[in-house]
Amino acid sequence: MSASPEAAGTIYDIGYRHYDGPRLGRRGAVMAVVGAGLRAIFGLGRSGRSKVIPWGTLILATMPAIVAVAIRVLAGDLIELYSYDSYLWQIGALLPIFVAAQAPELVVNDIRHRVLPLYFSRPMSRFDYVAAKLGALSLALLSLTLLPVLVLFTGRVLAGDDVVGAISNEAGTLPAIVGTGLIHALVLASLGLAICSLAARRAYAAGAVLAVFLIGSVVGEILAEAGGFADVAPFLNPLAIMDGTRQWLFGGSVAESPVRAADVPLALYGLATLAVTLGAWAVLAFRYRRISV
Amino acid sequence: MPLISTRALTKRYPGGITALDGLTVEIGEGVIGLVGANGAGKSTLIKILLGLLPATEGEATVLDLDTATHGARIRELVGYMPEHDCLPPDVSATEFVSHMARVSGLPSGAARERTADILRHVGLYEERYRPIGGYSTGMKQRVKLAQALVHDPKVLLLDEPTNGLDPAGRDEMLALIERIGRDFGMTAIVASHLLGEIERVADWLVAIDAGRLLRTAPLASFTERTGQLLVETEEGGEPLAQRLVGRGMQALADGRTVVVDIASAGDGAGEYAVYDAVRDEAVALNMALVRIEQRRHQLEDLFRTGGTDERVA
Repeated sequence: MSASPEAAGTIYDIGYRHYDGPRLGRRGAVMAVVGAGLRAIFGLGRSGRSKVIPWGTLILATMPAIVAVAIRVLAGDLIELYSYDSYLWQIGALLPIFVAAQAPELVVNDIRHRVLPLYFSRPMSRFDYVAAKLGALSLALLSLTLLPVLVLFTGRVLAGDDVVGAISNEAGTLPAIVGTGLIHALVLASLGLAICSLAARRAYAAGAVLAVFLIGSVVGEILAEAGGFADVAPFLNPLAIMDGTRQWLFGGSVAESPVRAADVPLALYGLATLAVTLGAWAVLAFRYRRISV
Repeated sequence: MPLISTRALTKRYPGGITALDGLTVEIGEGVIGLVGANGAGKSTLIKILLGLLPATEGEATVLDLDTATHGARIRELVGYMPEHDCLPPDVSATEFVSHMARVSGLPSGAARERTADILRHVGLYEERYRPIGGYSTGMKQRVKLAQALVHDPKVLLLDEPTNGLDPAGRDEMLALIERIGRDFGMTAIVASHLLGEIERVADWLVAIDAGRLLRTAPLASFTERTGQLLVETEEGGEPLAQRLVGRGMQALADGRTVVVDIASAGDGAGEYAVYDAVRDEAVALNMALVRIEQRRHQLEDLFRTGGTDERVA
């Protein structure tokens, strides 16, 4: 560590320097993977092309809320604000697109190019690694499942004449807003990562995610229209399962959701959500335990 | 105090393959060559030391920490360079190595600084900002080494670091490893099946075969003198050997060389008597000598002869 006062511009070999600063251990490792995951998902520090889908979907998901709130604030009662209950269902198609485009980035290359032994030979376990990836994707998804609804919430509060009164009026809806956002983010992240962890390439992973969401909802619709299968239809579509769970927990039905056409106890949706999530975690556990180092 | 020690370490994989079979060894500081044929158990030993694989029986400690219970702490202080490819193609060396530094527990500022330092030490300059996918094998090996070094580990575990490199690349990688041992003050354990390479960098050898310790000793003792004199002649050694045998010495001709047993020159006569005898007989035969030297053990002898009689339990 001898920094001799050489003339500016002189290049000299300072030799090897040891590191005696802090080591953040397992927590530091997990935080690093979460942080790098978020940067990868939103294309930060990468080419403009890799920012298109994450930021595009984020803008598309938030724009209706922002516009509605703006009109409401500026023009008063000209329009009715979207309801909290239906907003996520309205932007629903954006969620699988976001997951399909960004989740493969998180896990596929680490498996395909055998980077995992480098992670596991550092102060983190396989469990830590998967949890960190899941955390990163869930946090990223919250920008779609929570942020727009919070914009709506803010709009409703600000639109009234009596802001303080509006806050106390609207505060009761916060648990539903936050709970719904969290459930959607966690379930989508779990399902998305589980599917991606099985794919050999990023493109296959993206296709598989889209297939799971699209095929389920299309087949469900066909079954429902063919008649007699309206009770089954929502369970083929992960978004409908989560909408049913939202209704079960917080109430408020959505006109376009297949949940309305089905006649089953709402608790079944909660069970289905639990099953999907645990199933995804089981796939992840199985997949990552099998990877040899 | 040894940096690494194992006691009766055994690893049996499901399916009945025994990779390590009661291995007991202590490893100190320096550049340590871990030599053995493919399948001798080198990689398995490294993975147990990293706490990545549980041992079936026995125990191992690294820096006085038990691998079975303190794996995470060990992995903070150890750097690992795997044998296989392990780099994502679409990120730059700078990005990848600094990410790995953070996963090792370094704060982001330190990670950036050390990444710049280490990439310079391993000899990656302008190209470090380009995606790794476009690198040559030699450059990729340097990135692999850099990610193992970036968090300033106390112990470095290198699994076949010259794998896939051309001769020039091998030379450069070996020079780097030598420098790490000499200037970085780290202990490097270099697993290799290429004895010729290990010979050039290691100062201590641990030889294993079929999961058992064959021998552990300073490199020099593997290449000790054999007590024989090697005489190379211009035309064929048969007449010289006959005349030396005629003097009562043990000498054997093999083509153009003659191997003379030094001890056979008589009590306490020593090697100079043998040198003199060889010189005198060569003059008498009017024979041209190419060289005379003390014969040394070859590292390869260790495995060629099975070496089982030299095993240290």
